Amino acid sequence: MKRAILFLLATAMFDMAEAHAASVLEGLHRHTTIASTVTENGDLNPYAVVVAPVSAGKIKKGDILVDNFNNQSNLQGTGTTIVIINRANKSVSLFAKLPQKLPQCPGGVGLTTAMTMLSSGWVIVGSTPSTDGTTATKGAGCLLVFDANGKLTTVWKGSRINGPWGNMAIIDKGSTATLFISMSGFDVPGPDKIDPKTGEPVTINKAIVLRVDLAISPGAPPKVTGQTIVASGFGQRADKDAFLIGPTGLALIGNTLYVSDAVENRIVAIPDAATRKDSAGTGRTVTKDGLLQRPLALAVTGNGHILATNAKNGQVVEFDPASGKQLGAQWINTNQAQSPPGNGNLFGLAMAPDGKSFYSVQDDVNTLLETAP
Amino acid sequence: MKRRGHHPFTTRRQFLARSATLAAAAGLATAGETKAQAPSAAVVPVEPFWGEHQSGIVTPAQRHSYFAAFDLTTSKRSDVADLLRAWTIAAARMAEGKTAQPLEESLKPVMVSKPQAKAYDHYQPANLTGVAADSGESLGLSPARLTVTFGFGPALFVKDGADRYELAAQRPSALVDMPRFVGDQLVEGHTGGDLSVQACADDQQVAFHAVRQLARIAADVATIRWAQSGFLPDGPAHETPRNLMGFKDGTVNPSITEPAAMAKFVWVGEEGPGWMRGGSYLVVRRIRMALEHWDRVNTKFQEQTIGRHKYSGAPLGKSSEFDALDLDTNDKDGNPVIAENAHVRLAAAATNDGAQFLRRPYSYNDGVNVTAERWPPWRQGLEYDAGLFFISYQRDPRNGFIKVYERMAKFDMMNQFVTHVGSGLFACPRGANPDSFIGRELFGA
Repeated sequence: MKRAILFLLATAMFDMAEAHAASVLEGLHRHTTIASTVTENGDLNPYAVVVAPVSAGKIKKGDILVDNFNNQSNLQGTGTTIVIINRANKSVSLFAKLPQKLPQCPGGVGLTTAMTMLSSGWVIVGSTPSTDGTTATKGAGCLLVFDANGKLTTVWKGSRINGPWGNMAIIDKGSTATLFISMSGFDVPGPDKIDPKTGEPVTINKAIVLRVDLAISPGAPPKVTGQTIVASGFGQRADKDAFLIGPTGLALIGNTLYVSDAVENRIVAIPDAATRKDSAGTGRTVTKDGLLQRPLALAVTGNGHILATNAKNGQVVEFDPASGKQLGAQWINTNQAQSPPGNGNLFGLAMAPDGKSFYSVQDDVNTLLETAP
Repeated sequence: MKRRGHHPFTTRRQFLARSATLAAAAGLATAGETKAQAPSAAVVPVEPFWGEHQSGIVTPAQRHSYFAAFDLTTSKRSDVADLLRAWTIAAARMAEGKTAQPLEESLKPVMVSKPQAKAYDHYQPANLTGVAADSGESLGLSPARLTVTFGFGPALFVKDGADRYELAAQRPSALVDMPRFVGDQLVEGHTGGDLSVQACADDQQVAFHAVRQLARIAADVATIRWAQSGFLPDGPAHETPRNLMGFKDGTVNPSITEPAAMAKFVWVGEEGPGWMRGGSYLVVRRIRMALEHWDRVNTKFQEQTIGRHKYSGAPLGKSSEFDALDLDTNDKDGNPVIAENAHVRLAAAATNDGAQFLRRPYSYNDGVNVTAERWPPWRQGLEYDAGLFFISYQRDPRNGFIKVYERMAKFDMMNQFVTHVGSGLFACPRGANPDSFIGRELFGA
């Protein structure tokens, strides 16, 4: 597929040149399908992309973990599998497979973009389950903790865990770790409850970002030592096609957490995210609209920029978090089977170890794509 | 591939001489039987039924097909052999333009010797009170190059773990249980079967007539499990036909006029059991196309999906249909001109360790029904139930369809416009001589 780089033309020429030189996207030209993410049981709709920081158990350092949100019937909120993809030989193996119904997890299992792997080898992933592919049957879900061999060891649930949704940001110090997780499921009704003013499903401003502090002792699963709501009041709503729309991507630079606020089509910043004791509300708007088309997953590039996947077209957008300037966008899914091309096909995103290339899921064809220089 | 213009008998005299010989050899009565209408042209469109290979495999594709899978309802091995004998005789007759059974007699179902069928078992000249030996809709029609091709599904050998006909030990290793492919949405009513019958003819009524007669004869022994009709466009003989996506389909296919290629890719050789040598493995797939979705897509993207230009049929980057696929050329960014997920790249022998098989597909069109597309934008509603009835023949499906499609099922860009909803794998035995019947060696009859 031919892809093109778009640059924001609204800025003055000298700004363009400056942005141009610093753009990570500009240096990326090659798009390679790494593997199919469909599992033996037919699970579809790849969501999270996580690059393994260490070798442990079944996983080798640099392997890519991808989970599936849909089952074989293509119902959202029913996927139960995580695969390991080896970049070098493009091989795919099953990391974990759960039963659809898991008593410890309210509503069952539907694995989301909220996934991470710690340097201690633990893999943590969110579940936002349904039974009919819509939020009408959505359960609160949970956080699932696997050992490095894919064995489920612990399930976390509670009043602050509801619809763990977007990609996690983490601070990993080995014996302790901090997770930031967006929760987009509080009181979301089914997609048939329409707001007469917008003609769309009603928006409920109850989504949060939860900070979870962990203590990790050798040989034992991580223990939760604290839970703090660091941001709150984000819009969240049901959607027939996308299941759920709410705050999704998280990226941490220093002590500032960046959140993609999909409903408002913007990126916001939460100051002192790792240390604050209260909620910063919806934070400060860093950038809004422009090239953003309902931003989802976020990833920090090697030079400190942030990439965001767009839900409503097949583009990745690059912006400078310091200035809030949007630097450009690149088509990484130009599938014209959707309109606009790539609409609905992007979600999870992760930087490759080189800090320039990145991996993304292609939900239209159920594959993992590498975009590289 | 040259599809048409191949007529084994070039004059009516040759045809009549040949058919009389065949009929005599088969021990069939000829006098007084209803013949095909006297063709006005010199060419009588008959494809020979008897021979080393079954007809309908390397036969140039006829315009229409009617495929049926049958389930055996009898528990007796001898009933199955009797059925195949009766089917063979009827198919050979129909291929010559005759009625399935002599019309002067009443219908003789294969279970004719059984008490419950006794009522049929008497000769009634000019019989109008008995059940007719043939339903009659092909009377006066040309044989229309009818071929009838028989196959045995895995369930003939073992069904639900049961060796119903003491055939389990003879199941060829190549007759595997079809694996589940990524994206499969197989419907029970379009999948599997103990026996397969593929009837092809240049007249739709002739093709359906053949299967219908065989089903009548099979009463109390086998019953239809599912069926599928198909068609090809009536285009110029030298042109590759277009399928319902509007693209030429079949440009790259091993040539049916090259026996060496057929021996390599289609016919079972010494590796198979005796009854399969000279036979072939049939894979059918009912592939529903999301035509409404496809029709909203711009032509250039359709071409990228297929890997060919729509109007010329040429591979992307080339100018004529039969130019070789260039899979190695990249654009200025280093991305391949023929996309890595393009249909033609994934289907090419060059990307499949040289694996090839013979495709003999037909389009199908079964009206409209309510469906939910499985790809973004997930359109739901009343849509055409139309697409491709994919028919393929191969020496060993493990090195043919299964090998090639395993990768295509995962990566083909076309997958978002097509869904495989039906499937079958059948071992089509070698052909028969007039003193034998299809599958005789398997049954040791």
